[in-house]
Amino acid sequence: MKPNATRIRTGALWLTLAALPTAVLAHHSYAMFDMSQTVTLQGTIRDFQWTNPHSWIWIDVPNAQGTAEQWGIEGMSPNYLARRGWSKHTLKPGDKVSVLIHPLKGSERGGSFLSVTLADGSVMRQSGGPPPPASSAP
Amino acid sequence: MRRSVRRITGLLTVSMLAVVAPAMAADTPGSRPDLSGVWEVTMGVRTRPGPGMPEQPSLTPEYAQKLAGFKAAQARGDYQETPQANCVPPGMPGIMNQPYPMELLFTPGKVTIVIEAYSQTRRIFMDGRKHPDDPDLTYNGHSIGHWDGDTLVVDSVGFTPDTALGPSQGYRHSDQMHIVERFRLTAPDIMEVVTTIDDPKALTKPMTATKVLRRHPDWDIAEYICEQNNRNLSDDKGKAGIILNH
Repeated sequence: MKPNATRIRTGALWLTLAALPTAVLAHHSYAMFDMSQTVTLQGTIRDFQWTNPHSWIWIDVPNAQGTAEQWGIEGMSPNYLARRGWSKHTLKPGDKVSVLIHPLKGSERGGSFLSVTLADGSVMRQSGGPPPPASSAP
Repeated sequence: MRRSVRRITGLLTVSMLAVVAPAMAADTPGSRPDLSGVWEVTMGVRTRPGPGMPEQPSLTPEYAQKLAGFKAAQARGDYQETPQANCVPPGMPGIMNQPYPMELLFTPGKVTIVIEAYSQTRRIFMDGRKHPDDPDLTYNGHSIGHWDGDTLVVDSVGFTPDTALGPSQGYRHSDQMHIVERFRLTAPDIMEVVTTIDDPKALTKPMTATKVLRRHPDWDIAEYICEQNNRNLSDDKGKAGIILNH
């Protein structure tokens, strides 16, 4: 399984889909992601790739034994994010963060980005808009 | 007496200008609406024939069969992914519906559309030339344009059938696809684009969609090298993959 990952069924799949920016859809489908699942990863940023066609958040998440497991989280392109309040400095190696994702189907440690809560408590979404209601977060 | 004549002559001149000016509007560059700048398709109104749901293509039996075959393959697990996952541009009409901005450049005899997604460029010839009799088939086609009053009309042909008509990869078009786009300002920084697609081989009737774009005077087109760090892939059966080594 995926230790330290809180797994919930959203039940409100269409609401989630509606909130997703369609930009990711422009490059590829969501076939590989389990859009019915939402997972929260708590860990330490290893790398933030500010690249096209997607940004990638690489995060070390400790498992039940305390060993760090690396997850790769796909986000929007820098082109899209830079126009919505992000920069290449938004995430830095060593930052302690909490990332909300739709996980990959299967056992690989990866997912599609939804939002990140930074160490200071501020929340960044891809749209740059307000965070989702607390009731929908785990 | 002379003063009166001058005054009358002056009034006549002003009156004539007032009458002539609107007639010249369609042909004088300075009088045309300024459609230049960086534009982004507004969310939620990407393709719609009007209020309500987007219009579905009305396919000929041959192309309906292609769609049915595609859907059957999807049900078996194939074609979950599109060629765009491999950084292949979508071509027309999909390239005009991307969630990334495009820049319209007006130079003598030509309108150039610089599209951020997949770093694509469309060249619309405004110098009076016609389409080639036997155009090479390309992703974005061959485009000629003219002004119809305040509307920029772009006529495009010569599309490779390698690309999809949309809304999914199962909807195909032929090499006879013909697209007419009408670009018009509806507010200072709002542009409506009405796109009509006909295809005698694939469609039983033309389909029309309207999209709305917003101008962003403070934006620039950014680099988009899809191959830079593309970790998505679509295999020859359209199965989705992802590369997680880092």
